[in-house]
Amino acid sequence: MLLPKSRAFTPNHSKGPSRRPIIIRLHCAPAAAVFSLLIPVSVARAQQPAPAVLDAMTTELHRAFTSLGKSPGSPSQAASSAAAEAPASGAATPAAIFAQGAATSPAQSSSDKPLPPYFLSYTVRDTSFVSIRALYGALAESSAGRNRVADVQVRVGDPKLDNTHGTHRGSAVNSQQLPLGDDREALSRSLWNATNTGYGAALDNYLRVQTEAEVRAKEEDTSPDFSGQESQTHIGAVAPQVVIDRAAWEQRVRELSRIFRDYPDVYQNMVFLTVQNETDYFTSSEGSQIVTPHLQARIVAVAVTRADDGMDLFREQTFEAPTADGLPTEAVLESAMRELGKSLEALRKAPVTEPFDGPAILSGRAAAVFFHEVLGHRLEGQRQRGDEEGQTFTKDVGKPILPDFLSVADDPTVSNFGSTWLSGSYQYDDEGQKAERVDLIQDGVLKTFLMSRLPIASFGASNGHGRAEEGHVPTGRQGNLIVTSTKSVPDSDLRKQLIDEAKKQGKPYGLFFEDISSGFAVTQRSSPQAFQVIPLVVWRVYVDGRPDELVRGVSIVGTPLAAMKSIIATGDKSEVFNGECGAESGTIPVSAVAPAMLLSGIETQRQPQGIARPPILPIPGADSQAPAAKEAQ
Amino acid sequence: MNPLRSLAAALFIAAVAVPNLRAVELTRADAEKDPVLKAMLAELDRSMSQLQLQGFAKPFFIQYRLEQVDDFETTAEYGSSEGSDHARQRVARITVRVGDYKTDSSGARGDGALEIAVLDDDPIALRSVLWAGTDQAYKNALSAYAQKQAELKQVQTPPQSDDFSQEKPIISLADPIAIHVDESSWADRVARASGLYRTDATVSTNQRDIQYSSASFRARSTTTWLVTSEGTIVRKSAVEYQETFAAGSQASDGMRLDRSYGSSGISPAELDSEPDFNKHAVTELASLAELRKAPLVEEEYHGPLLFSADAAADTLRSLLGGAITATRPALGTEARTNGAFASSYHARVLPDFMNVVDDPSLKTFNGKALLGAYDVDDEGVPEQAVKLVDEGRLDNYLIGRQPVRDFPESSGHGRAGITGPARPTIGVLKITADNGLSTDELNKKLLDMAKDRGLKNVYVVETLGGEREPRLLYRVSPDGKRELVRGAVLDDVDDRALRSSIDSAGKDLWVANSFGDPPTTVLAPALLFSDATVRRANAKNDKLPFYPPPD
Repeated sequence: MLLPKSRAFTPNHSKGPSRRPIIIRLHCAPAAAVFSLLIPVSVARAQQPAPAVLDAMTTELHRAFTSLGKSPGSPSQAASSAAAEAPASGAATPAAIFAQGAATSPAQSSSDKPLPPYFLSYTVRDTSFVSIRALYGALAESSAGRNRVADVQVRVGDPKLDNTHGTHRGSAVNSQQLPLGDDREALSRSLWNATNTGYGAALDNYLRVQTEAEVRAKEEDTSPDFSGQESQTHIGAVAPQVVIDRAAWEQRVRELSRIFRDYPDVYQNMVFLTVQNETDYFTSSEGSQIVTPHLQARIVAVAVTRADDGMDLFREQTFEAPTADGLPTEAVLESAMRELGKSLEALRKAPVTEPFDGPAILSGRAAAVFFHEVLGHRLEGQRQRGDEEGQTFTKDVGKPILPDFLSVADDPTVSNFGSTWLSGSYQYDDEGQKAERVDLIQDGVLKTFLMSRLPIASFGASNGHGRAEEGHVPTGRQGNLIVTSTKSVPDSDLRKQLIDEAKKQGKPYGLFFEDISSGFAVTQRSSPQAFQVIPLVVWRVYVDGRPDELVRGVSIVGTPLAAMKSIIATGDKSEVFNGECGAESGTIPVSAVAPAMLLSGIETQRQPQGIARPPILPIPGADSQAPAAKEAQ
Repeated sequence: MNPLRSLAAALFIAAVAVPNLRAVELTRADAEKDPVLKAMLAELDRSMSQLQLQGFAKPFFIQYRLEQVDDFETTAEYGSSEGSDHARQRVARITVRVGDYKTDSSGARGDGALEIAVLDDDPIALRSVLWAGTDQAYKNALSAYAQKQAELKQVQTPPQSDDFSQEKPIISLADPIAIHVDESSWADRVARASGLYRTDATVSTNQRDIQYSSASFRARSTTTWLVTSEGTIVRKSAVEYQETFAAGSQASDGMRLDRSYGSSGISPAELDSEPDFNKHAVTELASLAELRKAPLVEEEYHGPLLFSADAAADTLRSLLGGAITATRPALGTEARTNGAFASSYHARVLPDFMNVVDDPSLKTFNGKALLGAYDVDDEGVPEQAVKLVDEGRLDNYLIGRQPVRDFPESSGHGRAGITGPARPTIGVLKITADNGLSTDELNKKLLDMAKDRGLKNVYVVETLGGEREPRLLYRVSPDGKRELVRGAVLDDVDDRALRSSIDSAGKDLWVANSFGDPPTTVLAPALLFSDATVRRANAKNDKLPFYPPPD
């Protein structure tokens, strides 16, 4: 469904532990969320002294870990490595703390002391942001702020079976707002509070996991719940506070929105600038200590119209860069707004397409979205285990799943594709693992999956793709999905091939998908293994040489394997889709890069559409311009 | 006090207190000097004259309400700032009615559409926002009207009143009030308050028992522009300031213990000074230590119960606040209104020595500004003082522009939360008793009751947490000795108790300002109930912390 209003106008930043819905739908959109994440600063390589926040986190983490029961020298490797690295500064000895704890908490005599955690980590996201929004050519919001949120992860049991097993995955994380300064006492008190709550939830869930494990049949995939990994240390730069010329940017955003006054059929528009500098701190009982900065500036423009038959139509454009200075020039932005306006005015007059089954070209951008939705989500490690997952590709490792001229990698370690910045880049994932380039598919053959620290039958270790929004437990997610081809032809040849293919199939035309919006992929067993993406701009390319014709109301349907196996050739230029992707572990920034693709068979259906009439009166300011809106009456 | 600050405070009060509508006769031309009103009126005129879907009725009434909220909040925990947020936003609520005053498209919930509006006084953008909402609201109204016509055909008993009241249009233009705060000094100030548990020598020895200690400061101004197709034009503005403190602990049996304190007003100067505020916060922290040591309340007690004026204000707010408002009853019934007092018109609801009035014109009480005061409500109707309960008898309801049987006109109590629809709501609810007693007299009376009935102890509720959960409850022996107890819940303090169990009431009124949405005030005396129940709550006691807090 097209839901431009709720999606674009209501920033989606969910908090709190995720609850597993019956059907998990994966929404990915270029314009979805306001708060997102970002890219490593290139200068952040050098190791720096540990910031006070990280020091306070580490000290408190080790105090918690030892107080909760693992005494130094315990057989657990994690515990001993943690104890060995515990900074000497600050608190009393663990033994003294433990003794004190027992003394002040009568409820916890050593006899009924609950199970100790075997793993503890603190992730702190310190975010400075500016956000400016304009509607109808005037400012609607301008705000700036800073906040710091801690995600405390507690694991009880052992890596084979812990409190995160199965549907209890969300129980590992508890979030709490942290004070902004370096006040050690305030920081450690807050972390203590969050750890206590998180530990209580972990104990409760572990008990249930154990009970469920006893009563259920043997699971298909008996992998452990947590992989063993090397600890990581990387003290990168702390991101600076966002400093931009607010007044100048307010004026720029306002002016961009005002351009839509020249397009009176655009009933709604929004231009939104967010600049966010974030520093991520990570420390764990395994001894990891990581500080990485993430910067992102983004402009999102959304424009909405409605056809006379009630079909809602929208288009969006986004521009990303690490900082506001890196965003495109005003001239570039202005022409992009005009492009949106013109495109919507054309779209609302375009004919509604008929259902179609035939050849089509996906533009590079459309192909990037298509691969992200159709393939990328199915290659996330956790989708290969779990009784409810469809496991499309679980048993296909080593087998061809794409034509042999296509390869797919996910590489968060690159920050640019050509001159375009990639928003899915990062240095360390949200489980403190170093980002890795993962060759998922080579020459059409499936090699591996996107792995977090949740093992699956075929792969037991993380490959640096455990990602999450704050308040969520990381799962295997995409970063920068890059599709490459060895069978590429110039775009003009690809178009010729489309016409040839249509002729061959006896079709009067093929389709060209110029722009595709978000979609959702259903990967669960309870639903058909289908996907749906929403094409925004689709052209009929006629075999008889008539000019291309813009159509509306198309949606692509079908099953993923069939669609991808029908790729015949690709273009020779790749395009980038930067966006936000939402799934169980929250909304995270991603990129996808792909060349244009020719598919021999793609199936489309009529898009569900609204039935409300267009506005009765013309938009204010348009009265004198004899606008097209009057035709609506 | 800083003379400039007190002057500033006086000016703020003046801005609220002087209702321009009662001064010179204002005209639409005066209103149109305001670019926001000018844009609203232009779009209103266009919509009234041109908005019509072929074959359907035109709107007979359109109202635009545009609210600008300027909201600053800063929070701190454990002695350190968590950050500040300063948000400015405008939201438009657009109401369109089709039909006529007798039967229109209005439903049970708010009518119309809500749109995020722009902060710039840009006429085209402001009108575009209203245009989008009007179009949607009109289409919704047409279908709601058709649906209502169908529903009316299904009931035998016709509606007991019109759908919408006719009111005299007014033009009232008060100046917008801005919030004036030093943001960083307030951030520091609440940080200091939230750290008292470890910095104040009188309580810091117990700091390891404190599980949370937070403080916040909030300042909010709301400016409302309202125009209707009947000719009403209103600009009004209100401002609220509030500082709060909250801390919590657990008793050794796991019972959660919470204390909080707040200071509010219509200017920063009206709030407690920092030393005063912190003194209160320290008192709350000290009371947590006392509560940790306090014994559990007995399992069940029936007998006299004295509510302090503070606690009585909370109880009366919850028992009377909703019951004395009149809302449209279900279609097809002969009911007058809904709620606890639906059938109590002219019946006794309080003892005959008690009276209740809602008087939004009451701007101050004993020198304290009342947050619930206002001049014009959120439907553009001037406020009226409404005598609700006279000698214990319910003589009136609070009502907005949605009439009920016997109440065809608004009493200027159609109030709205930010972005919400207007509904009848209290402004300044004042509850008084004839021949009220002093606190000492009330306490003596309580002890006399204990002796007369041969009770080994009686109870005094000092402050309430939830509606029925006392935060400070004292067990009082017949000799007057007070002991703090914990873990209680109150029972049998209900409508019936209001009517027949209030033995006597205090003469001094407590000012309970609620930094609300909309803001309200309750002025209430202490109440001595002759018969009420105090029980052990037996709530779930959470585990104590698994390990001690850091040093």
